Amino acid sequence: MSPDNPEPSGGLKIPGIPDLKMPRLPKLAVDRRKALTVAGVVVAAMAILLVGGMLFASYHEGQQIAAFRSHVSASEADLFLVSGKVASHMRTPTYGLSIAECDAHVREFGAIANYGRAVTAYHRQIVAVDAVPEAYAGAQSAYVRALDNLNRAFTFWSSAAAAYEMRDYPAANRNIVEADGAWREYNTAINDYDHELRTAEEGTETLPA
Amino acid sequence: MDWKDILPVLAGAVVILAVAFVVKPALLGEPIGLVPSGPVPVGGPPAYLPPAPVPTPTPFSDDDEAYSRNFRWTAIDGGVQTIQVRIPEALFHEHRETPRFSDHNSWGRYALADTDRPILEDLARRIAPPTANPDESYFRLMNLVFFVQQIPYDMDDNATSYAEGALPRHVMHVKGGVEYPKYPIEMLVDGRGDCEDAAILMAGLLDALGYDTVLLRYSDHMALGIRMNEFNPYYARYTPRYFTYGGQHYYYVEGTDFDWWNVSVGSTAVWGRPHPIGDTSSTGIPSVQSETPQIIPLRYVPEPGEYRIRPVRLPAGGA
Repeated sequence: MSPDNPEPSGGLKIPGIPDLKMPRLPKLAVDRRKALTVAGVVVAAMAILLVGGMLFASYHEGQQIAAFRSHVSASEADLFLVSGKVASHMRTPTYGLSIAECDAHVREFGAIANYGRAVTAYHRQIVAVDAVPEAYAGAQSAYVRALDNLNRAFTFWSSAAAAYEMRDYPAANRNIVEADGAWREYNTAINDYDHELRTAEEGTETLPA
Repeated sequence: MDWKDILPVLAGAVVILAVAFVVKPALLGEPIGLVPSGPVPVGGPPAYLPPAPVPTPTPFSDDDEAYSRNFRWTAIDGGVQTIQVRIPEALFHEHRETPRFSDHNSWGRYALADTDRPILEDLARRIAPPTANPDESYFRLMNLVFFVQQIPYDMDDNATSYAEGALPRHVMHVKGGVEYPKYPIEMLVDGRGDCEDAAILMAGLLDALGYDTVLLRYSDHMALGIRMNEFNPYYARYTPRYFTYGGQHYYYVEGTDFDWWNVSVGSTAVWGRPHPIGDTSSTGIPSVQSETPQIIPLRYVPEPGEYRIRPVRLPAGGA
């Protein structure tokens, strides 16, 4: 029995399968030099993108830090003016003042409190929405907290001045006590800011002093 | 290698950059392009707004209608003195029409009322004339104290305590009676008053001479505290009582009574001397002997303990 024309013993005849001819693939003309060039271009492009991306990321972070720095700097400049007003007011002796002078002194205290409130609220709004690198998030958060506490302290001062106007001296005293508390929390937040900033810039976690 | 081989690579890079700088910021609402992050502040930073000046009241003229009151009193040297005080009627009526502070902590304002000040300064100078001899300062002080102690005592709920013979409309109804702290010139016009009125008048007169005083408030009494350094006279048969406020010692001064006795048996005339400074034991007022008073400064301004704004270090580096 021929494999091409099987003829089983039962008498049935299976038709033969014609010869299949496989088409021949065209032979690739591999130009090794050209392939290497293309691969080199691709690798170079990827490297450029990678390095470019890293440079961009670094530049972008630098931009974010610069923006944060400029906003903190502007805040500090305005707080310096507030501090000048506060220090000048606190240096004024109150002994021997007449009632009219006492009233004028407290009105000025209230005006300074309102000024401080407005300045801290203004800069808090700016610094709080700064996009900063993750390493600076702690410093930003602490600075915003400092501004918040300063704003609270000035709000209590303002309430104390208002209570004085109402001749409710015990309420004025209570507000001053609250303001002192907020001021202490501001000091804590400033310490935290210094610590976080140092950590961000040195890149290592340091224990607070 | 031709340009056509490089173009797809460059196109891919451009697409990536466009997605990074334009599409993503646009989708996330961030600023587009290489711009610093953070909002652009709306308007400039707030500026300091000084308080509006308060117009000063027009002073009362000497030509205005005035109450004239004569006080006959005994100085500490035993000499009988007479002093006349003129008080503008308009000022007196202005005070009478002024509602009173229900909070005792504000009563120092009565003693230091700016409108009363010129009258008190003039009266204090006449009762205790300035002297170049510092040894006489104690006598000046005691003359002022003695002058006030000799003004008759009258309770706030007595119509006789008021020149018009009726309770003023701003008397405060408190538990068990009425309360009406008088401005110093009200007590001078009325010619009488109760313990807080005497303490307020005495505080106003002593403040006009430069003494530092406070009001001492007990549950049923008010007296004066005068700042002195180690007041302990050799003749005192008592331990002078003082109270500490702001690190200073304020010695007790009674304003409503003095040590007196009848000149002779059967006589109504009395002879006396000022109730001494620091003597609480002989006042006969139980609260004074047993309580620690609330100290009310004449001047009050809110004074925070914490107020220093600390400069901070700025972040280093940046673009």
